[in-house]
Parts: sequence; C-alpha cells; structure tokens
Amino acid sequence: MVARLSTDLDWNLHFHAGLVVLTSQRLLHIEEGRFHEWKLAAVEELVLEELGPTTALHLMQDGNAVWHWRITAGHLREVETFISRFKEQRGLAEEGVESGEDDDEELFTPEIASTEPRFAGKPLLRLITFSRPWLGLMLVGLGLTVASTGASLLGPWLTMSLVDDVLIPLQSATHEINVQKVYQFVGGLLGAAVLTWMLQWATTYVVARLAECVTSRMRRTTFEHLQTLSLGYFNKKRTGDLISRIGNDTDDISLFISVNFIDFACDLLTIIFTAGVMFTINPVLALAALGPLPVVAWLVQWVRVHLRGGFAAASRAWSAMNSVLTDTIPGVRVVKAFAQEKREIERFRQHDQQIFDTNDRVNRTWSFFEPTIAFLTEFGLLVVWSVGAWAVAHEHTTVGVLTGFVLYVTKFYSRLDAMSRFVASAQRAAASAHRVFEILDVKPDMPVNKDTRKVGRLRGEIEFKDVRFRHGTRQIIRGLNLKITPGEMIGLVGPSGAGKTTLINLVCRFFDVSEGAILVDGNDLREIDVMDYRRNLGLVLQEPYLFFGTIADNIAYGKPGATRAEIIAAAKAARAHEFILKLADGYDSMVGERGQQLSGGERQRISIARALLVDPAILILDEATSSVDTETEREIQAALDHLVKGRTTIAIAHRLGTLRKANRLVVLENGVISETGTHDSLMKHSGTYARLHAAMEEVNHA
Amino acid sequence: MKLIATGSHLSLIDAEGVRHDNLRPVRLFPLTEPQHWISLVDEKGREVASIEDLNTLDAEQRGAIESALKLREFVPVVRRITAIKRATDGHDWHVETDRGPTVFRIETDESIQSLGGTRLVIIDKAGTRYLIPDVASLDRESRRKLERYY
Repeated sequence: MVARLSTDLDWNLHFHAGLVVLTSQRLLHIEEGRFHEWKLAAVEELVLEELGPTTALHLMQDGNAVWHWRITAGHLREVETFISRFKEQRGLAEEGVESGEDDDEELFTPEIASTEPRFAGKPLLRLITFSRPWLGLMLVGLGLTVASTGASLLGPWLTMSLVDDVLIPLQSATHEINVQKVYQFVGGLLGAAVLTWMLQWATTYVVARLAECVTSRMRRTTFEHLQTLSLGYFNKKRTGDLISRIGNDTDDISLFISVNFIDFACDLLTIIFTAGVMFTINPVLALAALGPLPVVAWLVQWVRVHLRGGFAAASRAWSAMNSVLTDTIPGVRVVKAFAQEKREIERFRQHDQQIFDTNDRVNRTWSFFEPTIAFLTEFGLLVVWSVGAWAVAHEHTTVGVLTGFVLYVTKFYSRLDAMSRFVASAQRAAASAHRVFEILDVKPDMPVNKDTRKVGRLRGEIEFKDVRFRHGTRQIIRGLNLKITPGEMIGLVGPSGAGKTTLINLVCRFFDVSEGAILVDGNDLREIDVMDYRRNLGLVLQEPYLFFGTIADNIAYGKPGATRAEIIAAAKAARAHEFILKLADGYDSMVGERGQQLSGGERQRISIARALLVDPAILILDEATSSVDTETEREIQAALDHLVKGRTTIAIAHRLGTLRKANRLVVLENGVISETGTHDSLMKHSGTYARLHAAMEEVNHA
Repeated sequence: MKLIATGSHLSLIDAEGVRHDNLRPVRLFPLTEPQHWISLVDEKGREVASIEDLNTLDAEQRGAIESALKLREFVPVVRRITAIKRATDGHDWHVETDRGPTVFRIETDESIQSLGGTRLVIIDKAGTRYLIPDVASLDRESRRKLERYY
C-alpha cells in the first residue's frame, strides 16, 4: 500500500465511511460490501474540487469523471497528500518501475485514532498533579486534620464518663461526693477544646496556604501556556472568557481546596471515627442511630447529578457576562457615539439574567437538600432517644452512654450536613477545573520544531517560494513567488482582502505556510528558532498598542535592558522626543490603558521608537500612516525614513508618500502577484496599480 | 558651551558661539532619575541641548541649572500620612511633606502609581505630583492608611 484516504461522505452527502487505497499498481475503493478497482495506468488524473464545507475528488478517465468521492473539508490536507502521492506513483508506474508486490493485507490494519485528550474525565483528580511540589505541606495538612478531628471527639467521650462516674452517683447520693473528679473532667473538657482549637487553627492555615500555592501555579501555568499559543487561537477566543477562566475559575478552585476540601476531610474522618466509637460502645444503639444513612447517601447522589450541569452553566454564564464587559468597556466610544447605551444595558441585563437563572436553578435543588438533611438529623436523634430510653429502662445501657451517644449523633449528622455542602462546591470546582484544563489541553497549533537553528543577526533577504496559505477552506495566498534583497523596501498594495496582511503574518511566522516555503537569508522559516528570528523583526502596526507603563518602558519593550541614552536616541529618531518633553513627567509619564491620553500620531511615533530600538533587520509596516491626518503623517513619515534606512522593509501602504519611497511596489490581487515595479513604471503600465492609484487620488482631492 | 542664569530662565552660548535665550530646563526622567538627563528647551518647545549628567558641569553652571529647576519644580515628598478622608468625589489626603503639611484630593485609586519597587507617585485632582520615595520608610500608621488605597 502506498497511501490511503478515509472518506466520510457518500455522493449524496450523507455520512458514510469509505476508504480509497493507492497501491503501486492500482487504485481501490472500498466500502461495506462494495469494492472497485482501477489500474493506475488507466487513470488519467485525480481532480480536487473545493465545494465550501466539503470537498469532491473526481477520478478522471479519458476526459470524463468516472467516479467521485466526497469528503468534509476538515480532511482537505489528507486529500491533497493523497493526490500528490498518486501523482508520484503514477509517474513511477508509467516508467514501468515495480515498487515491490502489492501488499494488500496491510490495507485492512485498523488505524489507531489517538485524539483523546489525556486525563479527559476527572478534572478534580488532575488538580492533584498540580499540588505535587507541595507534597510535604499536603502531608502536614492531612496529619493536622486527623489530629484535630481526633481531638474534637474527646469531648463527648469525657462527657460520657462525667455523667456515669460523677453526676449519676452524685444525684443518687449512693456514693461520697467526689469534687476532685468533677474538676478533673471539666479540666479535661477544657483541655480537649483548647487542643482542638489550636490544631484547627494550624490545619486551616496550612491548607489555605496549600490552596494558594496550587492555584497560583495553575494561574501561572495557564498564562504561560496562553503565551505559547498562536495568534490563530486568540482570534478565535473571546478575551472576557479567557480572563474569566484565569481569574474566577482558579479562584473557585482555591476556595474549594482551602475551605471545602479540608472541611470534607474533617467531616469524613469525624463520621468514620464517631461511627467507630459508637459501635464499640453499643452496637445496637449505633445501628439505630445510623438508620437514615442510606437515605442520605441516595440524596447526595441525586443532588450531585442535578448540580453538576447547573454549575457548568453558571460558569459559562459568568464568562458570557465578562465578554460583554470586555466588549463594551474598551468600545465605550463607539457605544456612546451611536447612542447605544440602552442597548448595551439591555445586553448586560440579559446576560446577568442568565447568571441569575442558572444560580436560581442551583439554589432550588440546594434549598431542598439542606433542610432535608436537617430533618433526617432530627429523625436520627429521635430514634436514638427512643431506642436509648428503652435500653436504659431495661438496663442494657447507662444514662451516661446515652448522653454521649446523643452528642456523637448530633456531631455525626451535622457533619453529614456539611458534607452535602461539599457536594455543591466540589461540583463547582470540577466545572471550573475543567474550564482551566481546557486551555491547558490546547496544543500549540504551530508545531515547535525541536532541532531548529539559531540564526543570530540576519542580513534581511527574504524569498517566497511558491507560497500558498489556506485558512480553513479559504485559499488566501495562491502561489506567490518573490525575492527581496537585503535593504530593499517593498510597498505592498492591492484591494482589501487580497492577502496583504496574511502575507505579513506569514513573514512574522504568526502562521505557517500551507505549501511552499519562505526563506530568510536562505533558511526555511520553519527550520529556524522562532524567538531568535523574531528578534530580527520590527513591527509597526496601524493601531499601535501601548502597554500600561511609562513611555520609557514602552519604548524599551523589545529590549528591556536598553539604557536611557538609547531610549532617548530612539525617541529622537522617531520624532517623539519633542512631544515627550512637553509632558509633565517626561519619559516617566504613564501611558496605555488608564494612562496619559496621547494622540494617534504620538502613539504611533512611540511604537516607531520601539521598533527602532531593537534595530531590526526586517521591518514590517502595516499601514503605519493610514489612520492619521496629513500633518501627523508628515511627522511619522520623517520618523519612518529614519527607520527604513538600511533595513529590508515590507510596507502595506496606501499613502503616496510611502509608495514613492519604495524600491519596488508589489501589487497583490486574489492571493497572487499581479504586477511589480516602481511607482512610475506601474503608472505607465496602466494596470491594477494605476487604477488603484487613480481611485486614491480621487479620494484625496475630493 | 556656556550657561548663563537669567532669573527662571537660562541662556546658552553653544559651541559655534550662537546665543540661545529664554531656555528652560526640563528633566526627562523627573521621577525615576531626576539627577540625570536634563534638557534645555526653547520657547517653541524645541530642544537646544541636553545634559546627561549634571556632575560633568562645573559648579557655576550646575548651580545655574539647579536654581532654574528649583524655581519651576514642585513635587512635594510625602513624609507622613495623617489622615485619608472620604470626600464627595474621591478622597482628601492629609499629609506632611518636605514642604510642610497639606491636604490634597485624589479622585480614583488609579491616581496612585507605582514607579517600580516601593516608589510611588500620587497625582492629585489638579495634576500636582506627590512623591513617596520609599513606602517602607514611612511610619507604620501611614503605611496602614496607604495600604487601603494602594
């Protein structure tokens, strides 16, 4: 077998599994009960046709399509691989090269699908893997829990002896009054209380610390992981949702570990201990007291199932609301400009209502549960009192034992009640943990090549070799060839949607090419270290992004160790120095969100200074001057002139000033280069560029 | 290069012998590195010269710059926070500074900004800057009051 292709649709687009197999001599189609084969030599070619969300593969013989396969677009890449294998194989077959026997047995070896994410089911168990570094602390916490639970059980035991050995004899006055013993027992009770208090204090602190350690690690790991994900991931995700996962959800988990989990462990231990103690004292009474237990167990299970969905829905509702906030708060100018405050209020209200509804649903289940447990506690006590009264009357037991029992049963059932609360928080934490792990399970979609080369400082030669790029089913770049020499400035023009920004994203290696290759200084981009490569890049975007911090910090963003002299030099070259001088705090002025208000042109010049400071070999300008007025543009243009000197530059531009400066203009249309040349030569040529340029002129002079 | 003090302004005779009048000194890093990087700016806001380190100048010229800076600079250093009281819009801070006791109003918690480490600057409603060079060096009471807002 040379290649195989699993198809998942039939010709009428119903889901149906099939298999196409390529051997060295034949092409086979296999599905349940059907089998077709064609001699390779007789097959003219395989033609791929993209039909939106599905793909068709036609088998051509003598100019006619004699067979068709349909496959969902998700398998496009496999289809293409298959076709190229087919082409190779047919070439070989025509040359009469035998590549060994047809090995048909291999056809039917099942393919092992290993798409299951590791640890799919149990998010709470996975939390344990996060606490591994604090194993010691965990054991201390556990030991303390056991000790404090044990200490809290001393009380009833002492009470039992106090009643039987002191109070009853005291009342019936058959013995001498033993004041000494009263002091001993009361002192013992006090001691037990103090011991319990101290141990619980220690336990609570140790466990809270553990919880903080685990969740802090979780937050950091999640953020670190986010930083490794590609631009494509962030384009698909809502910011509010990610914030909510790293913020709220980890907080839920922290609360669960620090408060609920420790309570749960205490409760479980108390229940086991009390049950044990009760059975050793009086098995009959113990059995009676534990009568309602199965009902409780059943209730817990029932509530668990009902709450699980509820909490997941609540978490999602929170995310949705956060998304509304991250949408409307930064976009407040648009909201106000279009007088859409009411509509945003309504949108927020709807999402808030959703949170209300999901929580209300949870509360309904919940409110039934707690009183029911309380009722069962009362019921259990009732049973103990009646069985106990009967036992005392028949002298099977003593009043002291009965008193002790009542204390134990109260403890027992109050713990059950607390456990029920644990059920709720465990479900909440599980839902939260699931959402956090979902981020962690996203594999970086750009495979990190292990044996990448360090390139160091590049000269700045870029070569596109038959580059193709597909996003989903859309082919954006369709076979692009271009060689850019070091220090050359390329102006990239073309109608919107032509693939200009995509091309830049490919050069930055935010995405990998689907086919072909991009070479820098002769190295394939995929084979060199991304970080190392990007240190050679300078990026100036249409909408410059400033981080919250001082102007100096922002300029030095790409080179944190820059000296003040370097920062000032970069700012001067970027024509930013003079407006910075006028700010009250100079280079120490806070900018970015919540910071000083700067104009678009000022922000742009800071971002140019930022690019200048890293001294990039390759400079990318993504419409750096298109969002500002002419006056500011002149300033920015002057700053840019400094920047492009001696660097390979790719500039997406509409402004004539930028275009005139370019050594070559590349006109992109529909993912391919339609024209190249200087401004003047392209104008003479009267092609796409001349047309675009005329349109721009018209706008400028209108 | 020669500097001449003229009241709150400075005059400069540069290397080519050209005289620039009405210059004012501007600190480029007033909060993080006030003693370095001082720029001399003319009336139109253009930089005429800049001095990386005042200590490279002779005493007379340094004195000229320092006195001119002293006349226009106003960044009180907070020594003690006596009280922070809620007002209709924001909070009134009652503080003792190196320039004596004062009260100023800040509107939001965002007016308190960290300058890295334990250095803080507080910008009041009017835009005046108050510096806390080291939070740790404040007394316990002041730190506790500050903690509620920063």
